[in-house]
Amino acid sequence: MKNRHHLSSAGPVPGLAVFPLSGRQGVRAAGEVGLTTRAIWEGVLEEAVREGEDVYYLELSDVTFVDVAGAGALAAAAGQLRDGRRFVVRRPPAALRRTLDLLWPGQTGIEVSTS
Amino acid sequence: MTTTVTEPFGPLDPFAHPALFYRDEQEYLDGTLPFVRDGLEAGEPVAVAVPGKNLALIRDALGDAAETVRLLDMREAGRNPGRIIPGVLRAFADAQPAGRRVRIIGEPVWAGRSGIEYPACAQHEALINAAFQGRAATIMCPYDVARLPEDMVTDAYATHPTVIHPGSRAEQDSAAFAPEDVVARYNEALPPVPEALMFAFDADSLPHARHVAVGEGARLGLVGVKLDDLALATAELTTNSVVHGGGTGVLRVWPEDGYVVCEVRDDGHLTDVLAGRRPVPRDQRGGRGVLLVNLIADLVRVHRSDSGTTVRCWFAR
Repeated sequence: MKNRHHLSSAGPVPGLAVFPLSGRQGVRAAGEVGLTTRAIWEGVLEEAVREGEDVYYLELSDVTFVDVAGAGALAAAAGQLRDGRRFVVRRPPAALRRTLDLLWPGQTGIEVSTS
Repeated sequence: MTTTVTEPFGPLDPFAHPALFYRDEQEYLDGTLPFVRDGLEAGEPVAVAVPGKNLALIRDALGDAAETVRLLDMREAGRNPGRIIPGVLRAFADAQPAGRRVRIIGEPVWAGRSGIEYPACAQHEALINAAFQGRAATIMCPYDVARLPEDMVTDAYATHPTVIHPGSRAEQDSAAFAPEDVVARYNEALPPVPEALMFAFDADSLPHARHVAVGEGARLGLVGVKLDDLALATAELTTNSVVHGGGTGVLRVWPEDGYVVCEVRDDGHLTDVLAGRRPVPRDQRGGRGVLLVNLIADLVRVHRSDSGTTVRCWFAR
């Protein structure tokens, strides 16, 4: 096949939507974490650090991708948690788990839950 | 009264990087075993990262002492030459107590390295000198001079400040040592592949660039982790183009033998020769995109020129 160009992009740019969880401290996010949604993601994490709960849930089953900077923002936020506080990251996309394993192995304050 | 001891000839670089030339198994063991044993006797942390067959030779000859040596198959850990400094050499050296000299045998060049891989191997060998400058480390690099093409052996004289000739234990200075020349000479052009799928991107179309790459990668047979890795690499390289490379770039994806190749071309200038080869301190924000690409890809080739930067990465399917 010769010169197959993708000249136009189909559909709207994927965003990142965030909803409070009911019954527990945390948020459910849906969409993608990348350059265009990084500020939203960092805002979520800043708020999570401020909350002061022992466990803060990040429900990510509807997040399809997190880039390295997004993983780094999560690691940095987790690094600010003190006194045994932690994020429980539920059902993250494979890319996030892979990046955390490779670049932030053993990062304190992050518990990845696949269930 | 105190006495100040100074170096009579100025500070010497504590980093040593000899090439060990060998022609057969006996010469291989004669050169590598004393290096490992001397290190263990001196209480120095020792790692051996060489192709599996040679790794077995060293492990068997060391016997019980092998348990105190970090052993890695370079065909896996160093498949991508760009991974070796951050993922093997610095990963080992940085994990040791500060100030302790470390010893590593690293064999990144073996008979059978492809013509596409070799330029990255030569640049890697040259860049070890910059990456370890001033550090208390000795990295010995064996070269199979009986089986490697002559030009690869010639390059070893340019990438290593000292060499050890076959059957000898003595290090000799290499008059041809010129690592910057090797980095420049193997900065080979990567001409566009005409039949590749092509996607021109900017900030608004970044997510689409990744989706296009993943769709094509899946169509070409990438699955599972390899497809996730293609997505990560595409995201990091295209984001770099938008943030550091002039705001736009061109993504190409195509099949090549047993691999899917992903290439990002932009107008940016990647001036840091060690970009993507340094471990990043845990508390540093950002700066890990190219490092991650080096850690996950089976091969990374980079071409830097006055008109821009091209990064090409291979993922086995």
